[in-house]
Parts: sequence; structure tokens; C-alpha cells
Amino acid sequence: MAKNFFDKVRPTFSEGGKLSWLHSSFDAFETFFFVPKRTTPRRGGTHVKDCVDLKRLLIIVVIALVPALLFGIWNLGFQHSKVFGLGWGFWQMVWYGFVKIIPLYLISYIVGLGIEFASAQMKGHEVSEGYLVSGFIIPLIVPVDVPWWMLTIAVAFAVIIGKEVFGGTGMNIWNPALLARAFLFFSYPSKMSGDSIWVGGLSKALAGGTPWKGGQVVDALSGATPLSHASLDGLSAAGTSAWNLFLGDIPGAVGETSVIAILIGACILLCTGVASWKIMCSSVLGALFVGWLGTSFGVTDIPCWEQLLMGGFAFGTVFMATDPVTSAQTETGKWIYGFLIGALCITVRLFNPGYPEGMMLAILLMNTFAPLIDHYVVSANVNRRLKRAKTV
Amino acid sequence: MNTNSNVYTIVYTTLIVVVAAAILSIAAMALKPKQQANIKAETISQMLTAAGFSSKEDLAKLGNDKVLAMYSQNIKTAFLIDAEGNKTGELETEVSGIELQDNLKLENKNIQNGNPSLPVYVFEKDGQDINVIPCYGAGLWGPIWGYLAFNADCTEILGAYFDHDSETPGLGAKIKDEPSFREQFKGKKLNFDNPDNPFDIVKGGAPADNLSAIDAITGATMTCNGLDAAIDTWAKAYMPFLQKKAAAATGDDCCEDGCCEDGCCEGHDHDHDHGHDHAHHHHDHEHNHQEG
Amino acid sequence: MNEDLKKTLLNPIFKGNPITVLVLGICSSLAVTVQLKGAFVMALSVIIVTGLSSFVVSLLRNSIPNRVRIIVQLVVVALMVILVDQVLKAYAYAIDKQLSVYIGLIITNCIVMGRIEAFALGNKPIPSLLDGLANGAGYGMILIIVAFFRELLGSGTLFGLRVLPASYVPNNLVILPPMALIILGCIVWVQRSIQKDLQEK
Repeated sequence: MAKNFFDKVRPTFSEGGKLSWLHSSFDAFETFFFVPKRTTPRRGGTHVKDCVDLKRLLIIVVIALVPALLFGIWNLGFQHSKVFGLGWGFWQMVWYGFVKIIPLYLISYIVGLGIEFASAQMKGHEVSEGYLVSGFIIPLIVPVDVPWWMLTIAVAFAVIIGKEVFGGTGMNIWNPALLARAFLFFSYPSKMSGDSIWVGGLSKALAGGTPWKGGQVVDALSGATPLSHASLDGLSAAGTSAWNLFLGDIPGAVGETSVIAILIGACILLCTGVASWKIMCSSVLGALFVGWLGTSFGVTDIPCWEQLLMGGFAFGTVFMATDPVTSAQTETGKWIYGFLIGALCITVRLFNPGYPEGMMLAILLMNTFAPLIDHYVVSANVNRRLKRAKTV
Repeated sequence: MNTNSNVYTIVYTTLIVVVAAAILSIAAMALKPKQQANIKAETISQMLTAAGFSSKEDLAKLGNDKVLAMYSQNIKTAFLIDAEGNKTGELETEVSGIELQDNLKLENKNIQNGNPSLPVYVFEKDGQDINVIPCYGAGLWGPIWGYLAFNADCTEILGAYFDHDSETPGLGAKIKDEPSFREQFKGKKLNFDNPDNPFDIVKGGAPADNLSAIDAITGATMTCNGLDAAIDTWAKAYMPFLQKKAAAATGDDCCEDGCCEDGCCEGHDHDHDHGHDHAHHHHDHEHNHQEG
Repeated sequence: MNEDLKKTLLNPIFKGNPITVLVLGICSSLAVTVQLKGAFVMALSVIIVTGLSSFVVSLLRNSIPNRVRIIVQLVVVALMVILVDQVLKAYAYAIDKQLSVYIGLIITNCIVMGRIEAFALGNKPIPSLLDGLANGAGYGMILIIVAFFRELLGSGTLFGLRVLPASYVPNNLVILPPMALIILGCIVWVQRSIQKDLQEK
């Protein structure tokens, strides 16, 4: 039925029709709802610098993100109920998280897609769907209580400066979702840091001076952000066990806390071949290596494997480092790129007191260097072959 | 004429350099008094702001001469002390030849050497003495320094003013730009019982009952840590002098050893808070940003 | 001749702007544009330095030994910069403190040496002076535009006076250098969409 509707209105939007100026938008909606009639043949693997087939891949990524999202929604309610001592039931928690997360999604998609559509209209391009994933990730990695206007600006910044000026999806240097997070982080540091921002309603209540039920809040707070204590005191001081970190029932950004949910997503991505296993593996290796160096030189007493469970490492490695557009394209390049992300992330965690968790910075930095890595990998290859040609 | 011959080149360059040097030295000589007056007035207006006579902005509008005059009128005495807190020399306070000990960088080094010559500026306001002492240290990007004003017996901080060379605008630069940060110092006191760490700037908020700690600036951890260290270092260097002042005020002889019964009631509480606070401080250390 | 002079004066302001078209003097424009006041003084200083050093070098242009050309130019530029710095220290101490090393670094600003090499060495003193002043002004204009946005969005003030309501939350990223580069990029963007002939194919 919907298909008929599209067929019926198509002439209005095609060349010469009265709404032809909206033809990009029409096209986008049509292809979003249905498998488009024309797709470029899939050229093996995940190499997606061309865009039409991209849509299918993006939907797989979104599906892979769903476990983290669902867990995050429950966890929002769980943390809120725990800190405020409400003793909520399961559905209450889910409902709370749901209500909290919906506005973030609305903002993320309305602002982001609005800009995408507008710029596609202006340039007369087709709307590319790259924003589907970015828009899905953004609410998962920002503090749940982030003011809506801030999120709006951040999304607009990420889409315009991070993407449109470079020519849209597929041409961007940096991961747009991370750029939005980085923008928030550097623009409004006072709203983006501290213990209280990771639990829904807490910072507002703190600011308003709402009285607590006994000492529960303080107790809950002492374990609020294991990561922030990591550089000095280790997990025990934060009152959180590795199991909690793995399970994810701790305060944190919505999608980042549960390593289990992220692993489910990772399986989906790897089985379908959407994300590069090389990048994931090498990133884990890099993190383990620096984590191991850290413990052997006495910089930290956190075992290196626990570093993998903390903060945004798992989420970043699985969903953002593997973004095919901004990661390295060559096979050797992927190993180098991933390894450096993991290594840099832990290095920042251990050595930069200003930023206890460096996944965002590590990925953005390596995004910047990915083309350079590719360049050297390719030219090394060329040289090797030249040499071989000469000797023969 | 062949402008590419060796002789010509040498003579020409020599001439250019000599002329340039001459112009520069004349300019430097002509402008020096004005520049020095600027520096002096700047230092003095920082002290006057710390001591609560006026505000930095108002003083900047007054102009150098009036600032110097204001200093002369309100200062009672200015002198230098050594590491034991003994007076070693006087500083001229007459408006015609005001002397300041404002090479804080050098004194900072001398403090480490154990051989400082530290200034104390004693102002008089409404019949009460106000002791102003400087501090100096490293911020995130460059040096930071400032002045702390104490009441007559040096047990209470009356005000403070800080300045910096190149801290991040909007973050670290707030130690200078944000009056509410300086305001926090009012009514606080140095913890004489803990000479190594007499003052704290606590990230995430100092407990209200801790009289020797204030809240750090969010997002400016490194600058605040630097300021904390600067205050601690200099307060430690001044400690013998400050304690003598405090002891003289209470008139209690046992105070020589650094703690007197009189002040101890307060001091004990203090110690308590401080211990607690210290742990807290370390806990919260650098936890500011969690990111993914 | 009059046409020529007019072109000398106007070209560097817009069509041949040293920052947005020649991409010279970027570093200092990132560093001193946090506040309008500083940007204003910096712009003035650069105008004076480029103007005067172009003028002096042009006066000397026929007598400078070619082999030590650059050194002589540097001496002249350094002389001007130090003079400006000294005067600021004496008469605008607060702003000099704020600009700190960047006044001294005008010596390394490519615009100054660039205009001397490209223009003053081959032209009479008066056109050289105008060329120097105009290039300084082109630089200063961009500086002030960038500083306008950075101070407005980063502090909510203009020339230190509050213009945005107190409820405005200052954006700290704007105060950091990367955002100056992005604003600069946006200016280049705007300029090239107006002047299509500047667009690279």
C-alpha cells in the first residue's frame, strides 16, 4: 500500500513535476522504506566509499546497537532508582529510561537529518543515509541530562563542520557522533564532567538542593564513575567490581556501560562482515599492550584486561573505530590504525590527568591520521613490488 | 657603485645595525621610566585589590600616579624577612621612591634554596593592620602569581588576587577573571598545623566546614593544582613569620612550637577536617572528565 | 597612477587578503583573537609594522647588497616590532601583557617579510608604504572579524562589555585555538562563494 503511495506521488517529484525541487527528500524517504530498485553491486567486504548499498550496511549497524540501547534504557532507570532510593520495579525503570532517551533521539535525528536534507536540497544531491548510524550513536554517548539546546548545537556542529563541508557522507574525516561528543566536551566542560552527570536527574536535583533519602546518594556516588578514579585508586576504591563493569549496571553514558550488550553488537557486526575484525582485534591488542606496560612500570595497578571493560573503550572499539568511512582502508593500515587507537586510549587514561578516559580523543586523532597510514601502506606496497619487478 | 662587493656589504650591514641599535636604545631609555611605573603600579594594584582597598578595574582607571599615591597613603610598613621569619630589611614606601620586592620568580627559586628574602607589606585600614604576602608558581601553561591579604595576627585571610601569564581563557584564566573565585578566600585561614600543605583548592567542592580549603574551578584542574602548590610553597616559607604574628596576638608563649592550646581547640577540629578532606581530595583527584 | 594606488590599497583588503587568500600570518590570528581589544591592538601594531618596514626597506632598496638582503630586511622589521612593543609597554601595559609574546612574534609574521620581498623591493617608498598599510589592514580586518565571533560566543561580551544576557552559557571551544581556525575557514568559505574566481578547480 505504501509502495503504491510512493509510486503515485513519484511523478510530482521527478523532473518537471511541481514538487521537483524536493526530489532529493522524496528519494531519501522512498529508498529508506524500500529496497531501492537500483543498487551498485556490492564489492566485497565493507568498503563503502560509494553510497547506495550503504543503506543495508547501516541498518545492520543500527541493529547491532540495539542491545546496548536497550540495556542503557533499563540502566538509566536502575541508576536513578538506586541513587534516589526509589526501589522501582523493572518496568518503571525501563519507562524512566525510555522517557529520558526519547528527546535525545528526537533532537539527534530532527537536527541532523534536517541539515542533511537541507544541504542535499541545496546541492541537488541525493540525501545520503550516513546519518542514520551517527544519529543513533549520539544519544548513546552523551550524558543523559545534557541540556537539549546544547545537544542541538553539538549535532548541528558535527553535521555541518564534520561532514557537510567535506562533501557529506563518505567524505568526512572524523566520526560525526564523536565530533558531537567532543564539541560538547570542550565547549561546556562544566556540564560534561563530574560524577553527577551520568545519573539521570541527579545533577538537576543536586543543583536544586533536593534533600536525599539518608546517605544513599552519597553511597551511590562514591561508586559513580569507576573510570574517573582509575588513574589513581583502582577499581576497589570506586566500589565497583570487574563483573559490574562487564555487566554494565553502573552509571555512565547510556550505551557505553554494558560490555555484554556491546559484545552482542560486535558479534552481529563481525558475522555479517560489516565491521573490520582487524580493527577490533588490533585495538584490543593495543590497549592490552599499553595497559600491560602501565602495570609493569608501576604507573597503575589496574590489570590491563580491566582497562578493556572500563569507560567507553568497548563501545568505541566496536562501533566507532570501525566506522568504514573514517578508518583506514588498507588491510595493513587497519592493523596499525586499530592498534594505535587502543594504545593511545590507554596512554591518555594513564598519563593525562585532565582526561581520565581517552577513547574519544584516540579515535578522533587516528581518524585524522588514517589517510596518512593508508598512504604509507600503499606506497610501501608499490615500492616492494617495484623492487620485485626489478630483481626479476 | 658595486653594491655586491665585500667591503660595501660589511660596511653597509654594520651601519644598519648601529643605526638600529641607536634608535632602540634611545627609545628604550626614553620609555623606561614609564614602563617601570606601569609594572610597579600593576603590582601595587594587585596588592591593593587583595587587601580590599579598591578593585583592579577601578585602579586601572585611576592611572599610575594615583595608584602609587594610594599605596603610600595606606601602607604602614614594608619589609623583608628571611626563612626564619626575621626582619632583614626595610622597603621604601614614600611615593617618590617606592621599593617593591616583585621579582617573585627569583624568590621562588630562593625558597627552594632555603635562602629567600621575602616581602611583607603591612597596610593599615580603619586602624587595623593588613599583612599582604605574595605567592608564585607554575600554572598549566606559564607562571601564575598573586597576593594574599591577612588580618593583623595573620590568622584570617581577608582577600586575594591572582594573575597569570597564559592560562586558558575561560578556564584557568578564571583565577584572575572570576571575582567569585577570589571571594572564596575571604574568611579562610591557613592551617598552621600542617605546614607542608596549609591550604587546599579542592576539585569537586571543598567541605563547607573546612576553613583551609576552597572549591576549584571546573575544567581548570591543572591551573588550580598549580595555584594550590604555589600557595602551599609560599605559605610554608612564610610560616615562621605568620606563626610568630599569630602567637604575638594571642600573647601565648607556648605558641613557639607551632601550636598553642588556645588555637588548638580550633586547630584540632581543623586537623580532623583536614585529614578527611585530604583523602577526599585524592579520591576526587582528576576525576573530572569521563569520556567515551 | 591613481588607479594603481587605489588598487594597491584595496586589493589586499579583500581580493588579495593576506590571510584568507594568501594564507599568511595564520598562527597569530589564532592566538590573539580571543578578545576584540587584543585583536584590535594587534591589528594596529601589524599595520604600523608592515607599513613602516615596507617604507624603510623601499627607501633603502637601491642600496641594499643583494647577498644580505634578507638580513637587512629582518633588522628593519625587528626594529619596528621592538619599537611597537616598547611603546605598548609604556602606554598600553594591560593590553601588552595580554598579547604577551605575540607582539614580538610579528617579526615572524610572513605578511611583513612577504610584502617587503614582493613589493617594497621593487617600488617607490609611498606605494610601498600604502601597500604595507593595506596588507596590515587586510590582516587586521580578518583578525577583528574572528575576534568578534570568538569574544561574542566565547564570553558573551564585546570589547569587555556584556552584550549577551547573563543566562547565555559561554562556549569554551570557541576560546580554544581550533575554533579560531574553523571560523577562519568559514570566512574563507564565505569569501570564495562571493568571489567565484578564487575557487580552486
